[in-house]
Amino acid sequence: MPTEAIDPAGITWQRVSPKYVTVRLVEWAIGNLLAVVVLSLPLVFVSLGWWRWPPLWLAVTVPAVTLVLAVWRLVLIPRQVRAIGYAERDDDLLIRGGIFFQRTMAVPYGRMQYVDIGVGPVERGLGLCTLKLHTASPGTNATIPGLPAEEGARLREQLAARGEARLAGL
Amino acid sequence: MTADLPERSVPDISTPAMDESTAAPGAPAPEPGSAPDGEWLRVHPASPFVRGWVALAAIGFFFGRDIVERLLQGRPLIAEDFAGRAPWLVAGGGIMLVLAVLGFILTWYFTKYQVSEGYVRVNSGFLFRQQRQARLDRVQAIDIVQPLLARIFGLAELKFEVADAGESAVKLAYLRMDDARQLRATILARAAGVVPDPARPLEAAPEAPEFPVLSVPPSRLVGSLLLSEQSVGVVLGGVASVILSAVTDNRSFYFYLIPAALGLAASYWGSFNKGYNFTAAISPDGIRLRYGLLDTQAQTLPPGRIQALKVVQSPLWRIFGWYRMQVNVAGYGAAGSNGESASRTTLLPVGKLPEVMSMLALVLPDPGTPEPGRIFAAGLGGLDSDGGFVTTPRRGRFLAPFAWRRNGFAATETALLIRSGRWWRELVMVPHQRTQSMALHQGPIARRFRLADLVLHTTAGPVSPRLTQAGLDEARTLFDEQSARARLARNRQTSEQWLAQVAPAPMTAPVPGERSGSETINQQESTNRG
Repeated sequence: MPTEAIDPAGITWQRVSPKYVTVRLVEWAIGNLLAVVVLSLPLVFVSLGWWRWPPLWLAVTVPAVTLVLAVWRLVLIPRQVRAIGYAERDDDLLIRGGIFFQRTMAVPYGRMQYVDIGVGPVERGLGLCTLKLHTASPGTNATIPGLPAEEGARLREQLAARGEARLAGL
Repeated sequence: MTADLPERSVPDISTPAMDESTAAPGAPAPEPGSAPDGEWLRVHPASPFVRGWVALAAIGFFFGRDIVERLLQGRPLIAEDFAGRAPWLVAGGGIMLVLAVLGFILTWYFTKYQVSEGYVRVNSGFLFRQQRQARLDRVQAIDIVQPLLARIFGLAELKFEVADAGESAVKLAYLRMDDARQLRATILARAAGVVPDPARPLEAAPEAPEFPVLSVPPSRLVGSLLLSEQSVGVVLGGVASVILSAVTDNRSFYFYLIPAALGLAASYWGSFNKGYNFTAAISPDGIRLRYGLLDTQAQTLPPGRIQALKVVQSPLWRIFGWYRMQVNVAGYGAAGSNGESASRTTLLPVGKLPEVMSMLALVLPDPGTPEPGRIFAAGLGGLDSDGGFVTTPRRGRFLAPFAWRRNGFAATETALLIRSGRWWRELVMVPHQRTQSMALHQGPIARRFRLADLVLHTTAGPVSPRLTQAGLDEARTLFDEQSARARLARNRQTSEQWLAQVAPAPMTAPVPGERSGSETINQQESTNRG
């Protein structure tokens, strides 16, 4: 069944850089492979005969399930990255993300308090950056990852200019 | 000593330790439209002792405990070996006392505040000095707090909140009660945009007149505590422990209930102490809330500072038709574990329907609908499409078997109402002017039923507006319309100074009576998109 998007109709989404997949892959590797390796240790110890507990089936099942989940997440990454999008409208910035758990957010320019640009080590290597918008609400979790550096800078300037023009109080 | 040379002084905001006034009545008049600077003032000299009585009490306790223990044990008051230690003990205690008092005096001496044109400034600290200045037109709330000890001495603490969900921007502890009220009146008048009469700049801002709106009788407060979820837990726990002890024949089990009972008593006492004698009043400066038995508190919420509001009713409270109202105010922040902000964010601890309606009218003076009573009543207790609410479509009843007829929204010209819950009824109201950002959410199960959630983001607080399980098309339309409405409302809000706010004619200008009520409400600004 094709997934019906929840976004408003007639929006042209800007997509983030496909290179962002690499960033996500590195994050995935650090998180998931490490977990699989650590969870496999009991299996090694048990098969070497150093440990009597846990039983072999448990020692096999736990890392196997973790591995399957990790691979599942790995398969999803390119699709998730493709699902991230943003659109500058006249009065607000739309940000969307997710496939299974979709989210579409509208952040009015006049409500933005400040804009962050963050660059991690992997992102720096690929020339990417992460843009984060802050409003007076802690619930606004508006992040656009995987922007090319110059696009991020352009967007930041654009957002700041538009925010200033439409600045509203709290 | 005064850092700045103030041009004018504001009398009646004076503390006993006031600096010599440098104000000259004949000083050059301030530029038109600006208020004169106040002079630098200090808090009441007794305040460090009132604030630091815990430290003094600790010192006293440290040295008094030994003696009391001896008395209780019937031993001689002064031990044989005490004579040798006495000078050291006395000297040590004396030094600690002197240090504490010196610290108090220095803190007091270096804490100064000033209300000037557009700003309130506080200097504090003597080793690490801090100068803080807060914009008056950014005031979100002003509280006057009187802990028991301060109340005995006729002192009060003034808290000035700006939109920073952490600590108070300005905390002046303690002023004399009259001074605190005078200062509050001055700050509110400046924040409202009242320009002092240039002919008589020495005139202090008069306190805005206020009109009482409602009060909560103690009997109802007690009743609300007895009918709370906590009480149900207590009764269930009591019954369970009786049954357990009967079955297992183990009496010692009750022993473990003592700490639990103490904790419960403290919690009930806290709620009673905080909620006692709750009164609400309206003044041009905003909504005034007063409450407290031993520690009293008076909050002032200027107009338009309430970011979101929630009215809840638990099943037990429905017997008497009671409701509780809570608000998000930018300065108060999220309800922490200390319970302080929990009481500060309570607009009405327990009230009946007419009182809820009058509070709603205070918070939202312009409901933006011809028949607010019907819509609010439908929001509080209605089902299905009463009052123009749009509920979860029938296909979503498997996800919310009881609540699907309740979960819904209605939009007026000025606010969005979200209601939910069949048993634990809840009505959330967010003024369009206060909408920060919003998001549509949809998980895989909701997608199966073509439903979606709409989350409105507001400042930290007890209210988190979320429209659950709306039909996908309705949610999408609302998302668009709500963006448009919020944009219009932002454009309409011209100033943070509430006296200076002009109220231009509604931009949409729908002809009243042209459409039927609910249609007007829901369709109104869809033409304004884009």
